[in-house]
Amino acid sequence: MASFGWKRKVGERVSKSTLRGFEAEADRTGDRAAPPGEEDQVEDQVDREEDQVDWLQAIKRRRGVLREDCAARSGRLKGEGALLAEAGRHWEAIKKWDEAIQLTPENALLYEMKSQVLTILQEVFPAVKAAEMAVKLKPMWWEGWQTLGRAQLSLGEVDLAVRSFQVAVHLCPSDVTLREKDLAWAQKLQRQQRAAREKTREEEEAERLVLDAPELRRDYDDFESDEVLEACAAVAERQRRLEELRRTTVVLDADGNVRTVVAGVEGAGAASASQEQLVKARGL
Amino acid sequence: MSTQYSILFKQEHAHDDAIWTAAWGRSEADGSDTIVTGSLDDMVKVWKWSDEKLELQWSLEGHQLGVVSVDISHNGAIAASSSLDAHIRLWDLDSGKQIKSMDAGPVDAWSVAFSPDSKHIATGSHLGKVNIFGVESGKKEYSLDTRGKFILSIAYSPDGKYLASGAIDGIINIFDIATGKLLHTLEGHAMPIRSLTFSPDSQLLVTASDDGYIKIYDVQHAELAGTLSGHASWVLSVAFSPDHAHFVSSSSDKSVKVWDTNSRVCVNTFFDHQDQVWSVKYNNTGSKIISAGDDRAIHIYDCPM
Repeated sequence: MASFGWKRKVGERVSKSTLRGFEAEADRTGDRAAPPGEEDQVEDQVDREEDQVDWLQAIKRRRGVLREDCAARSGRLKGEGALLAEAGRHWEAIKKWDEAIQLTPENALLYEMKSQVLTILQEVFPAVKAAEMAVKLKPMWWEGWQTLGRAQLSLGEVDLAVRSFQVAVHLCPSDVTLREKDLAWAQKLQRQQRAAREKTREEEEAERLVLDAPELRRDYDDFESDEVLEACAAVAERQRRLEELRRTTVVLDADGNVRTVVAGVEGAGAASASQEQLVKARGL
Repeated sequence: MSTQYSILFKQEHAHDDAIWTAAWGRSEADGSDTIVTGSLDDMVKVWKWSDEKLELQWSLEGHQLGVVSVDISHNGAIAASSSLDAHIRLWDLDSGKQIKSMDAGPVDAWSVAFSPDSKHIATGSHLGKVNIFGVESGKKEYSLDTRGKFILSIAYSPDGKYLASGAIDGIINIFDIATGKLLHTLEGHAMPIRSLTFSPDSQLLVTASDDGYIKIYDVQHAELAGTLSGHASWVLSVAFSPDHAHFVSSSSDKSVKVWDTNSRVCVNTFFDHQDQVWSVKYNNTGSKIISAGDDRAIHIYDCPM
């Protein structure tokens, strides 16, 4: 017969620290606990205990204490993580915050700080995930949306970033950095991306016309005729256009206007994002 | 005429993203009900309300970023919209064409409100100035200075005497329009005021704030006449019923609440939205309420008359 025991329920979903907590608890009350497998004894035990303690109240009390305890420990871990992040020990900070998240999984601030650090570490996808969790838990917190936007920008999701920054501005229109740096910069990138996409399309179209020129589809009787010369000229013109397209590249000038310039010359200046490397500690 | 509050109509997926603002107007020309909505998807949409359902009339493109605020002129012919792209646009509701586009400056367009004579549009700005644009001229004609912080909300009193503004730091300013003088500064709330509205007789001012409270002020004496609690989160929008007996509020707690003006109790709560409700308005008779929010849905409710 299958025996019943709490340990069986301890699976992968329970963290190591919590598991240790369980075990310590079990040890303390160990003398009284019934050995697994003997159900009669367990029942006896329950009967006996019911006589002595009001369990319903005790559990409620214990839960309350636990919750306070978790919040306090989580708060401490958050602070430790923030100090580590400030010292540039990013992975250690994340470890602290992960522990804190296990204690208080509803705390949006932890996910948001984690996202900032993950972005610095160029762990772009986990950074977006963490920030998404933060805004899900606290949708009216504009800084969560700002962090999500920055993470999405690192991931190259410019359109999504523009949306996140807009949500943030809508929640807090008075923040100048958010409006003039984050949103404006993401919009600039969005324009650039659109122009680049348009150019790729043009290029492909030009290439298609060179490879499959309409003039070459028909037969010419007289190879010396003007018709043939014209056709050759047209093909050459297209070839030239394609090469020109390939030589140029799309950049943004200082005013944020999209320009097409010849590659290799100037224009790399637009790509120098002033990345803020400082992690903002939340609610300390 | 219904005898109780009920939801009448839902337009799901009215926009491709969160709806931030809505307005209800009535055309003087043909008496039809017009609804205008603005969304994070950059679009302004014009709907006709007839036979108890909404019909999309125009999708107005032009704004480069999300639309923060819309209003309809009092004759129902023109709509104004403001966007995060810092432009205020005027639209002809008959033809669906853009009449004007006004560049309000980098951070100088938030709530828009038509003056009672519909000749001007007021909008708040980041330095605490209320800028007044001419509808005809399409230019900034003058401004009223609160010497305060970013102005999130604006309302004209229906009698045309006052203009009230609500700031991000919770301060309310009331101006005398004729003289352009600042009449009262009220330390209303400790948090942003996202919406305010005058009663139809212009005697009361109702304000909504992120602190979760709604406050009622006596305009003439600049006195607090009541503080209402009931929403579990930010109050995002308030609107007065034309019958003066009720006003409605919406909140990020996903609810829409109708309040009795005299007794100051909540007489009905609608819990029909899936997400924050950013905007709520009455129609011109007070028989209907419109609400819209982050769930991209427009709801129309029936009110007892």
